Amino acid sequence: MPLIEFQDFSFKYYGADFLALKKVNLTINEGEYVIITGPSGCGKTTLCRTINGLVPQFHRGYIAGNVIVDGMNTREHTVAEMATIAGLVFQQPENQLVTLNVEKEIAFGPENLGVDPVEVRRRVEELISLLDLEHLRDKHPHEMSGGEQQRVAIASTLALKPKILVADEPTSNLDPKSAELILDIISKLNKRDMTVILVEHRLDLVSKDASRIVLMDRGRIVADGSPREILVMDLCQEIGVGVPKATLVYKSLRKRGIDLESVPLTGEELANLVKEAA
Amino acid sequence: MSFLEVFQYTRQDSIIHRLDPRAKLFMAIVSAIVSLIFLEILPLVIILVILIPLLVAAKSLKRWLRSMKGLSILLAFILVFNTLLSPAPNPLNHSIALTLRLIALMTSFSLFFLTVHPDELSQALIQMRVRFEFAFAMSMAMRYVPTLAQEAYAIMDAQKARGVELDKGNPLKRIRNIVPIIVPLIIVSIRRALSIAESMESRGFGASPHRTYLNRLSFKKRDWAVVFISLLILLMTIYIRLFIPLQVWSLPF
Amino acid sequence: MIILENVHFAYDGIYTALQGVSLQIGDGERVAIMGTNGAGKTTLVKQLNGLLRPHRGRVFLDGVDTKRYSVAELAREIGLVMQNPDHQLFLDSVEKEILFGLKQLGFSSEDARVRCEKTLSNLGLEHLSERSPFTLSGGERKRVALASVLATEPRVLVLDEPTIGQDAKQKENLAQMLQDLNEKGRTVIVVTHDIEFVIENFPRTIAMANGTIVADGPTNSVLSNDDVIVRCSLTAPQLTIAARSIHSVFPEVPERLTLLSNLEGEIVRVLRGV
Repeated sequence: MPLIEFQDFSFKYYGADFLALKKVNLTINEGEYVIITGPSGCGKTTLCRTINGLVPQFHRGYIAGNVIVDGMNTREHTVAEMATIAGLVFQQPENQLVTLNVEKEIAFGPENLGVDPVEVRRRVEELISLLDLEHLRDKHPHEMSGGEQQRVAIASTLALKPKILVADEPTSNLDPKSAELILDIISKLNKRDMTVILVEHRLDLVSKDASRIVLMDRGRIVADGSPREILVMDLCQEIGVGVPKATLVYKSLRKRGIDLESVPLTGEELANLVKEAA
Repeated sequence: MSFLEVFQYTRQDSIIHRLDPRAKLFMAIVSAIVSLIFLEILPLVIILVILIPLLVAAKSLKRWLRSMKGLSILLAFILVFNTLLSPAPNPLNHSIALTLRLIALMTSFSLFFLTVHPDELSQALIQMRVRFEFAFAMSMAMRYVPTLAQEAYAIMDAQKARGVELDKGNPLKRIRNIVPIIVPLIIVSIRRALSIAESMESRGFGASPHRTYLNRLSFKKRDWAVVFISLLILLMTIYIRLFIPLQVWSLPF
Repeated sequence: MIILENVHFAYDGIYTALQGVSLQIGDGERVAIMGTNGAGKTTLVKQLNGLLRPHRGRVFLDGVDTKRYSVAELAREIGLVMQNPDHQLFLDSVEKEILFGLKQLGFSSEDARVRCEKTLSNLGLEHLSERSPFTLSGGERKRVALASVLATEPRVLVLDEPTIGQDAKQKENLAQMLQDLNEKGRTVIVVTHDIEFVIENFPRTIAMANGTIVADGPTNSVLSNDDVIVRCSLTAPQLTIAARSIHSVFPEVPERLTLLSNLEGEIVRVLRGV
C-alpha cells in the first residue's frame, strides 16, 4: 500500500477564484525522495499542506476527492493526529521558531501531544546531537543565522518522529552555502528511510539526490518520473522550470546530433560523460 | 529610558536567580505591600536596607544604581513639587517618604524581573493554573519583539528610499507619515502570524488538554524559606501598623 | 558615475560592516554584488542612497559628495527596491501605490498620471491597477514594488535580492526588463546570491566578504575563480565545474567557462574532433 495517495483530489480556498488543485492523482511510496516543482501558483504549496492535513483542516475551502496518508484520510483526522506521521518544514525559518531557545523549540511538538517529559528530554538531546545544534542550545532565535534557524526548525519537526518530511521551499531565504547544508541534511534523512517530499526551484542542487520529480502547472500534475526522464522534457522550459545547466547542455548537444551516454544533472556528470564519449 | 534597564532579565547565576520564580513573585508582592503600608521615612529606609543586599546577592547592584541615576531627575522633580504643594503638616518629610516609597516599589519588582527568565515566568504562570495559551502568548510576544523591531526599521528604510521624509514637517505631517510605516507593519505582522500559526498547528499546538513540560518548576527548601520569611515580615508589618504607634521621625527643619 | 572612496561603516558604532570599500560604477553599467550573508552587500547599497552614511570615507554621485543630499533628494537619482515588497506597500490600489512614489518625489499630478500609466503597461500590471496589493500573489507584489520605483525613472536602479522565490519564467521576465532599462541608459545594480542569474545577465561582478571587496571585474573571471568562490561562500556554477573537469583531460578547453553557449561549443569541438 502506498504511504501517500491522492485520489482525484481537488481543492479551492475560500474566496479564491480558481481551484488550487485540480483532480490530483498521485501515489508516493515509503522511502521515496520526491521533488515537486513548477511555476509560481502551480499548487505545490497547497499540495504540501494537504499531506499533513493543514488543507483542509486549517485552510478551509471546497474539497473533492481524498488524500490518504499512512492509511488515514486527511478529511477525517486533525492536523495534530497527522503530526506524528507527516512533519512540515516551511519557507521562513523565523516563523517556525516560536520559543526562546532551541531546547524548548524541539520540545514544543512532543509537549503539545502530552509526551512524557523524560522521553521529551531524550528526544531533545538526540536531535541536538543529530543536527549538530549543541552550540546553539541556549540561543534566542534572533541570535542565529537563517541556516541555523532552519536546522532548528527541522529538528523540532523531527521531534514528533514523523515518517514523512514535507519541506516547502526550505532554502528560498537562505544563502547558497546554508541551502546546501539543509539539502544535505534532508538527503541524509532520506537515506535513513525518511520519506521526503521537497518543493524546490533550485533543481541543480537537488535533482541528483531525488528519486522522482513531479511537475505541476496550474493545479495539475503534468509530468511524473525520474529526474533524468523529466528534466530533458521540453515541457520543463515551456512552463518555466529551472532546468540544471548541465542538462541543458545535454539537450543542446543532442539537437546537434551528439548523444551522450546518459542525462547529466551536475557539472561533474556532464564532464564525465564528455570524457567517456571522447 | 535607561531606567527600564532594572526590569530586564540578565543571564547570570546567583542565589536569587536560582530561586523559584513563584517564591520571588511572593517576595516582590510582600515587599510592595510593605512599602505601601508605611509612609514614614524610617520604615521605608529599613525596607530599602533589606532590599539592597538582595540586589547585591542578585549581582545587579550596578544596574540598579544606573537606573536610579537615570531616574534621579524625575525623583528630584517629585520631591520638589510635593514639598511645595503638599497639604501635609510636614511637607518635606512627606515628599521624602513618597520618593522613598517609589524607589522601594520599583526595587521590589525589579528584583523579580532581573532574576526571572521569561520562560520561567511563563512556566510559573502555567503552574499557577494560568491557561497555557495565555502564558504562551506572552512569551511569544517577547520572543518576537526583536523581530518586529527589525521589521519596523526595514519598513522605515524602504519608505525613506521612496522619498518619505519621516523627521521633517509640521506635527500634522509627521503624524500622517506614520501611515506608510504602520500599515505595512500591521500587514506584515498579520501575515507572519498566519505563518506562525501554520507551524504551530503542524506541531500539534492545542491538541492535548494534558500538555507536558520539559522543565517543570519545583519548590525547594530555600524557596519555602523565602515564602515563610516574607509571610512573617508581612504579618509583623501589619501588626506594627495596627498596634504600634510610630514615632514620626522628622527632619529638623 | 558613483564613486565610493575608502568607505567604513559600523552598525551602532560597533559592528563593522564595511572596511575600506572603494569602487566606481559608471553610468549605464550593469553590476552584480555578491557575497556571504553579512559580507556588507546591503550595507553597501544603502550607502548609495543615503540610508546609511559612511563613518569614514566618502560617497560621490556625479562628483558631489552625497552627504550634501538628503535621502529623499538622493531617491530621485537612485531607486532602491528592497527585498520584501510588503515593507513598502500600504495603499489600497496598485495605481495609488505607484502614484504615491511619484508624488513623494515631487512630480506634478499630470506628469505622475502619465508615468503611472506607462509603468503599469511596461510591467504588465494594467489589469491589476485597481486591485489592492494585499490581495495579490507574492510575485505580483514584487512587481508592484518594482513598478513604484521604476515609475520615477531613477538614473540608477538598485535591487536587493530580486530573484528570491521567483520561478524561472519570472526571472527571465525580470532579466528582460533590466536589460531594456539598461539599454535606455539606466545603471542597474543588483545584490544577489543567484549565481546563474548573474552569469547570464551581468557583465560585471563585485564579490564581497567580511566588509571588503574581494574581487571586482568581468563576471566570467570573477565567478570562475576558486578563491573568490570559497571566500565569498558561493557555490561554483555547474558549467564551470564541468569545464574545469573537461579541461583536465582536454587542455584546449578553457577552464574558466561560465556561459552555456561557450561550453557547448567547446564540447562539440572536442567530441567532433576526436
